[in-house]
Order: sequence, then C-alpha cells, then structure tokens
Amino acid sequence: MRKPLFHLATILALAAGVLSVPGAAQGAPVRVAEFLAECPISHRLPDDPIVLPNLPGASHSHDFFGNRSTNARTTQQSLEGSTGNCNPAADISSYWVPTLYRDNTAIAPTGVTFYYLGEGVNNPAAIQPMPYGLKVVAGNAKATGDGDSNARWSCLHAGHVNPSKNFVECPSGTMLETYLDFPQCWNGRDLDSSDHKSHLSYPVAGGCPSSHPVPVPKLRMVLRYPVNGTTSGLRLASGTGQTMHGDFFNVWPRAEMERRVRNCINVVIKCDHNGNHG
Amino acid sequence: MILCLLAGLLAGCQQAPLPTPDTPVSSEAQGAFGQTERAFVELSIGTNEQVLKLLENGGPAEMVAHRREELERLRAVLDVPYVNNHVGHDMPGMPTDAEIQLAATDPQARDQFVRAHLTESLKVLENARVDLKHPPTVEIVELMERHRTAELAAR
Repeated sequence: MRKPLFHLATILALAAGVLSVPGAAQGAPVRVAEFLAECPISHRLPDDPIVLPNLPGASHSHDFFGNRSTNARTTQQSLEGSTGNCNPAADISSYWVPTLYRDNTAIAPTGVTFYYLGEGVNNPAAIQPMPYGLKVVAGNAKATGDGDSNARWSCLHAGHVNPSKNFVECPSGTMLETYLDFPQCWNGRDLDSSDHKSHLSYPVAGGCPSSHPVPVPKLRMVLRYPVNGTTSGLRLASGTGQTMHGDFFNVWPRAEMERRVRNCINVVIKCDHNGNHG
Repeated sequence: MILCLLAGLLAGCQQAPLPTPDTPVSSEAQGAFGQTERAFVELSIGTNEQVLKLLENGGPAEMVAHRREELERLRAVLDVPYVNNHVGHDMPGMPTDAEIQLAATDPQARDQFVRAHLTESLKVLENARVDLKHPPTVEIVELMERHRTAELAAR
C-alpha cells in the first residue's frame, strides 16, 4: 500500500529533526527513489570474471569501472581486498561493459553513473538490498537486431534525437550516451545462474513475479562517450550498438547498501553520493 | 524507543529478513568439470567453428583436420547442450564474420587472419592451462597447444 505523501513528509521531517542526518542538504526532498555511484573507467582488459571465469585474455575487450582489481580471476574475496574509484568510495563493486571502438580505436566513456532506483515496482517500501556477492549480466550481448535488444542509445543535450537500440548520430557539441536497466526481481536464492541472468527477472505490471519474488533496487547504468557525428565505424567489442550489455558484481558493504535502500529507496527520496538527502 | 518507532515507520524494521543465499560462490571439486571448464569448452567450440569457415576453399588440409578433431573432443566433454555465447563478438583467436568474408576473396588477408588465430589462440590456451583442473579438458588443451605450435612452425 502506498503511504500518503503528506504523512511521509511529516515523518521525514521528524526523523531529520530527531536523528539529525549528517551532511543532509537543506530544502524539500526530491521525491525520486534513488541513490547513485559515479565510477570513472578504472582499466581495460580482455577478461570477464562472470562469463569466462579464470580464463585471462580469453574475452572480448571490456572497460571496467569501480573496483580496481577486477580481472578474470576475480572473486568476492579478491574484490573485498581491494579498493574502487567510485564516488562514494564505499562502493567497491565491479561494473564492466564491452569496449566501444571507432575504426579500431578504443573510446573510453567520460561520464559513468550507476543509479539505483525504486521505479519499476509499485511498492518501493518493500524493496530489499541487493544480495551481497550478486553477479548479474544485463542486456543481450548476442542481439541480432532491435527485436532481441534492450539497449538504448541517445544524445546528451540533444533530446530531439530519437533514442534507438543502435548507435545514433549526435549533433556536434553533444555526446553519445547509453542507458541499460538491470532486472530488479531476485529469486531470493542464487547469487549467479548458468546464463548469469535467470536468477533475476524484470517486474511484470509493477510487481515481482512469484518465481522472483524479492524486489531489489533497479540498477541503471548510464555511460556517456566523447563521440558525436556519424555512426560509421562505431562498434562494440560485442558487435553493433544493439549488443550493449553490462556486468555487475555487488560488493557494496552490506551496511552501506542497507542504509541507502532504507533512507532513499523505501521512502522514495533522491539521495546524494553519500546516501543522504535534504 | 522513538527512534525505533520512527525507523519502523520508515519501513526499515517492517521488512522481512532476507533469505540466505545458499548458492556457494565456488564449490567445484578439484578435478571436476566446472564453470571454468564449461566456459573454456564453449569458447573453443565457437572459435574452431569460425576457424573452419575461415579455412573453407583452400585452407591447409592438416589444420582443417586438427580443428575437426578438436571439435569432436570438445563436444564430447561438454556436459550441457552447446550454446554459442560469443557469436558476433571480437574474441581473441576467433575470426570474425567480416574477416571470414574478406578472406574468402583475399588469400593474403586469410594468411594474416590464420596467423592471428594461431598466436592469439596459443596465448588463450597458455593462460587457460593454469586454472583448468579437469584432466580430460587439460588433455584437450595440450592437444590444441601441440597443434597450433606445429602449425605456426610450419608457416
């Protein structure tokens, strides 16, 4: 059941007064269930610890974000023993995507944001933290056209260019950007699956299906590339723009993820990098 | 008390406890055909299938025979139905469709792509051997290394 907004706002005001949330900005909170991590590119390797575990150099090229140590032999323990480059520094998770090329020259994204959102399910108050150690792949790396792709390409600062499942031609002075939404319903049991996808699913009509009953935050990956003009010569290491996919290995410290889900997602408030809100 | 009530109203205390994940991160017995072996075999089947296309119409007969022999052994050791996880990808040692198309009309290009396959594939095999523990799969890796080393030496 949805909480009446005025009631929630009163509670939040009380909570802010009593708990005196450190670092909270002043002003009315923004009613979007969101927290985020911004993680620039960390390194590039032909490795994939989820799809080709323990097989260094056997993968198509990936750009890695977040945890600095990720390679083919990465495990939960190895990630825990390293640091990341995200803001907030608490997020030492690992994220990776296929490398983008133009005419065989690799192009690194210059803006990389991972949003954790409450949208997509009708009852964000029921959303639970992502399980620690979760591994998941989103997108279809083998897409053969628009029909089997859930990629989305658009232009930053050029909203008139229609989004597409393949690369789009962005006007001069704008940037090519891509969005990828991860599934947000977990089966409550598995940290991985043989296809690295089926332990999670997308919601159906605003709810999680009985096969995947646990709602978790929706991870939305937003990448911005210093690319505009013709799409000629653009390709991903996995093929066309339609094959855009993303991998995520969750090692957010449990308390940090739990606090953000409680303070940002469950109560539908937009939080800053530190998981605080005004 | 007030804090707890507030926290409860904020939904934090109302959540049911999370189920405990019971899937071990890694539980593969030493010497078993595990996740790494499966990934390696599927990758190698995909690579060899692309190489056979590259070698159509005039590729060295011995190399064709080697890839076919390897494919047979790779398929025999795989414990699940084969899925090509890397179709359309730019994988080390695996000729792309564009390269295969170009090679069909340009013998020099084919020669270059065959050499790239051999050198890149050898590197993948050398790395893979460190972590593969399943003896029959290790035997296939050794066979593949012998084949590629000999093929490279003969060029």
